[in-house]
Amino acid sequence: MKEEAVVKVALVSCGSEYAGVHGELESVAESVNARLVYPEIDVSSLDTIGKEFGLEAASPDLRLMMARAKAVVEGIADVDGVFITSCFRCAEAAIVRNEVRRYIHRHSDIPVISYSFTERTTAATLLTRMEALTTIARRRHLLAREHQSGLTAGIDSGSTTTKAVIMKDDKIIGSGWVPTIKVIESATEAFDHALEEAGVKREDIQAMGTTGYGRFLVGEHFNAQLIQEEITVNSKGAVYLAGKQKGSATVIDIGGMDNKAISVEDGIPGMFTMGGICAGASGRFLDMTAKRLGIDITELGALAVKGMQEKVSMNSYCIVFGIQSLVNSLAKGSTPEDVAAAACYSVVEQIYEQQLQEVDVKEPLILVGGSSLIEGVPKALSELLKIKVLVPPNSHLIGAVGSALLSSGYVEE
Amino acid sequence: MSGKEDDVITKIVVISSDSVLPIDAAMKIYESETSIVIKETCFGTMVTGPRKDVNRVIQEVVDLDRNHIFVKERGFPPGDERRCRASRGGGPRPGFHYLREEVQMLPMIGRALDDYEKKVPLKKTPEKKKFEIEQLEDIIRSDL
Amino acid sequence: MVKVIIYPTNSLILSDLVERFGHTPIAMMAKIKEKVSTVGVDSPPLNITPEEPKMGLKYAAVEVPAGVRGRMAIVGPMIDEAEAAIIVNESPMAFGCMGCARTNELTKFLIRQRDMPILEVDYPKGDDEAREFVYKIGEFLKSLPKDEKEGEE
Repeated sequence: MKEEAVVKVALVSCGSEYAGVHGELESVAESVNARLVYPEIDVSSLDTIGKEFGLEAASPDLRLMMARAKAVVEGIADVDGVFITSCFRCAEAAIVRNEVRRYIHRHSDIPVISYSFTERTTAATLLTRMEALTTIARRRHLLAREHQSGLTAGIDSGSTTTKAVIMKDDKIIGSGWVPTIKVIESATEAFDHALEEAGVKREDIQAMGTTGYGRFLVGEHFNAQLIQEEITVNSKGAVYLAGKQKGSATVIDIGGMDNKAISVEDGIPGMFTMGGICAGASGRFLDMTAKRLGIDITELGALAVKGMQEKVSMNSYCIVFGIQSLVNSLAKGSTPEDVAAAACYSVVEQIYEQQLQEVDVKEPLILVGGSSLIEGVPKALSELLKIKVLVPPNSHLIGAVGSALLSSGYVEE
Repeated sequence: MSGKEDDVITKIVVISSDSVLPIDAAMKIYESETSIVIKETCFGTMVTGPRKDVNRVIQEVVDLDRNHIFVKERGFPPGDERRCRASRGGGPRPGFHYLREEVQMLPMIGRALDDYEKKVPLKKTPEKKKFEIEQLEDIIRSDL
Repeated sequence: MVKVIIYPTNSLILSDLVERFGHTPIAMMAKIKEKVSTVGVDSPPLNITPEEPKMGLKYAAVEVPAGVRGRMAIVGPMIDEAEAAIIVNESPMAFGCMGCARTNELTKFLIRQRDMPILEVDYPKGDDEAREFVYKIGEFLKSLPKDEKEGEE
């Protein structure tokens, strides 16, 4: 990656250093050329911050978090981003963490991310989040780009599928979509497919961007100008494809392995959450459901919209026990339609319970990622949230399109 | 363990005295021992060195005004990179806020120690009790 | 001379008073010193590694947050080691090692579970209360055995 200025990230935490994860935080910051800083505060404000903020937390360190957030918002601390973190399973800290994040989001343009850690949290888990945070801080000009220009390529090397697109002057002229087997081989295959469809040669491509799990490997292999995590790329790609680049939007990306819920403002991600612990909430669950129903994944959606999820009782969100519930229902006489609907509902319900609680859902709600093509998924999400869900064209190519769009910033250079 | 005499420790000496100035204390330490390093901060003097020497020197300083000079051990040596404000990106070490709070109380504790030494009898402070409902009722009625 | 655990565990005043009246304070600072000067561990700033929250399992169950267990890995052995305790209730914001209210609740609880002399006093708010504070602490510390206990090292 190119040499870039150090980004100052305020660490707003109530005890990362006592949980054995502080070293991981330092190390992930260093890996994205960021530096953790601790906002200076006026000590006397600690007496009053609880009442002033409106949240009288019992833990002094949580009051310190509020005071530090205030220092950031008021510009007393000069920082480029904020990382708010507290212990997983602490209710008191969770309340403060969420309110502090909302507070910073409401009163400043400074990007914020929030995370609850256990002693097992590693730098690798935090990398995508920290990378997104520093990108938003560092490359606002890049994210301001609203049009794709020139001839550019984007490759999204995902955990399950690899997507590639060729774009020219705001149009997708070629695309490729293959299962990810070996990262570079699959990327090459998808890319070649896209080139063939576009009728252009590799050497004609003026700039390339890569994203997804395999972004570093693929980016280095193809000498990409832009190697970028999927939070920034996908939120940009989503609002671009949906034609909602101005104002607020919420992007939900249901991937093959993890999900992202991102609150976006003028194309720039603000708060976001990433889930990735349970496969039961991912595209993989839908894939397995389709297999059990003996149909292709592309047929699952049409089936699901005809069914009623209420008719099937799902006893677990777990990918193993959840599938078991579905199989049991089939044995008891449930229709494949109802089972398909229940599977879609189970996935969005988990996203709702685990991720949307931490993101302010603002319309339009844009659903992207491969699972968005399964019609039952947007339908279930819409029913659950009681709002209209927008699935833009080519929503499954979101990462590749976002990469191609953002990399066109390098065409002129 | 405190039993080890050869380990290097840091103690912080906070002076809350009308008769002894921090500089007097510093001078006392300077002149007494070569194996000891001192650093003056806004709240007190940090004394680092072998445990035995630190304890001896500090005793001499405390004796200057024993009820108004306070001492505690410190976890980090002065200027430790892991904790130093300059190298860790601003924001004082966590214990700082509490120390600052306590330092403000020292004059009061000092006076109390003087009185305790002189065996001044304690004043009976009436215990504060929660208001009885009946009392509250009386007040409300009397205001009507 | 007995080992007296103090609460707040990082208090200058309590640490000073215990030593002033001839006993050994068990305070956070010395434990942090042990941590940060451990050779071979490089986990700044406090050298607390993911091992500490595991050690904390002795004092708090696994569903208790990592930060509480990490702190308990330091405070817990202090409580075990203590022969007497002074607890100051309603003390003002004690940051740092005392920054987590949940840990502090557990610390006080575990101290109270020990069968040893324990003094609980309120944080003084004025001169009269300070006099009482010093008096109670002074009398308590004087009541503790001064010499090494017989039969022990």
